[in-house]
Amino acid sequence: MITLTQLIQSLVTGVGVGLIYGLVGIGFCVIYNASGIVNFAQGVFVMLGGMICHAILSKFGMPMLLAALLSIPIVAISGILIEVLVVRPMWNRGAALFAIILATLATQIMIERITILTLGDQPRSFPEFTLGGPLKIGDIAIGYQYFWIMGCGALMVGLLWLFFTRTTMGRALRACSQNRESAALLGIPVSRMLMVSFALSAALGAVAGILVTPTQFTAYNVGTPFGVNGFIAAIIGGFGNAAGALAGGILLGILQALAIVIFGAGFKNVAALTVLLLVLFIFPSGIFAGLKGKSH
Amino acid sequence: MSASALLEVRDLSAHYGRVHALKPTSLLVNEGEIVTILGPNGAGKTTLLRAMLRLTPSTGQVFFKGKDITGLSTHRRAEEGIIMVQEGRGLFGQMSVRENLTLGAYTQPSGTMSMDDRLDKVFALFPRLKERINQIAGSLSGGEQQMVAVGRALMAEPKLLILDEPSLGLAPRVATEIIETLGALNRKGLGILLVEQKAPLALKLAKRVYVLSLGRIAAELPATDIKSHHDLAQYYLH
Repeated sequence: MITLTQLIQSLVTGVGVGLIYGLVGIGFCVIYNASGIVNFAQGVFVMLGGMICHAILSKFGMPMLLAALLSIPIVAISGILIEVLVVRPMWNRGAALFAIILATLATQIMIERITILTLGDQPRSFPEFTLGGPLKIGDIAIGYQYFWIMGCGALMVGLLWLFFTRTTMGRALRACSQNRESAALLGIPVSRMLMVSFALSAALGAVAGILVTPTQFTAYNVGTPFGVNGFIAAIIGGFGNAAGALAGGILLGILQALAIVIFGAGFKNVAALTVLLLVLFIFPSGIFAGLKGKSH
Repeated sequence: MSASALLEVRDLSAHYGRVHALKPTSLLVNEGEIVTILGPNGAGKTTLLRAMLRLTPSTGQVFFKGKDITGLSTHRRAEEGIIMVQEGRGLFGQMSVRENLTLGAYTQPSGTMSMDDRLDKVFALFPRLKERINQIAGSLSGGEQQMVAVGRALMAEPKLLILDEPSLGLAPRVATEIIETLGALNRKGLGILLVEQKAPLALKLAKRVYVLSLGRIAAELPATDIKSHHDLAQYYLH
């Protein structure tokens, strides 16, 4: 029987991990809305965020904040490179969307192999942003890193909201998500918006990777589970709905954390996939599909 | 090319698969002129516009203010000053009226005129939009949506405004209001290319008319001559 302490602890860690899934899920939505493409290389940005940040920390001994701030644009550039080298040539030739989606999956595998060749296949981690801890409230112990995840996750969501509602580029991205032809007819460069969406999604993945690495580890192959869970979060939320993806991620994170406590760690993915199937049976378009577009 | 030519289309042709939807078509819109393209459903009117704006692959040439813009993408053509209001309005239905209108000014440099001044110019033409400014565009009535679509196009300070069936599905009173607004804009020098299926109102404004039939220009004549062509008058004026 689960105790109250375990329940509260699961909720906190679940929300933390769920925010990470949510950020990855939002990354899926940003690219999907701008282009209709499901970028299966999304998880690779989480891996690159952690790996590049670790490499900067270990090679140059920089402070954590500086290493993180350097890693994010580097990963964003990797997103731009995927768009320019993989997606755009196919897009310009009128390739079918499923072919482009398959190409992003191939890109994920290729980047994983390049990572093994350049950085090795050993898992690695870096210290929590605030050393010490965990914070103890009665019997409940919460690692400081979860507060960082929740704080930075909330900050990212706030910044994204400002970007999509207050900036011309954000509004132009939303316009592309609703009607690409109308956007082009107003002079909005749709293909450039696709590049922006890849950079933004990659940056979101990088933030997720940097935040989550201290709570576990990073390695060349962590992108796949984060990608899959982020994808599930996006589907639960109604694919394309950024707020829905965030809520879906948090829901998924909490259910996984509870499944680990109640049934054991082996049931983490069973819980995730069961939730996905149940949601799709009951709400084929996702729980929050009705909010699409109003919630960016 | 005519000295006052604003838009000149030469031998524009488009296919949908094996269907030759637009046979080589040429047309001209002069500076400050309203030209109407008439034609029954399926005549190729929308295909012609889509090909002109490069939304549909085509062959042929397009010149704008004497410059060959055949190689320019859709958004570059908008930057040149050709703005189209699509059939069905093409609004961003989940965004507010304000957001729709401000996106219309996407190509406009921010230093030249404040956004509020641009909006006020649109409100002067369509005062109702001022009351609806924070409303979601998709929740407006058909007439109000058309006003947003035209207003959004005007935010781009177009040199040529193209409208695909702007009166479609509108109450006669609203259609009249919009057509009269277009007439007022034209009197200030705006070139307008108006595509309609049946358009007694549009024909009152237009100087010249192209009649499109089965994917080709069947006739080009002054708008006033429509009445003298019995078949055309029967079809387009009643």
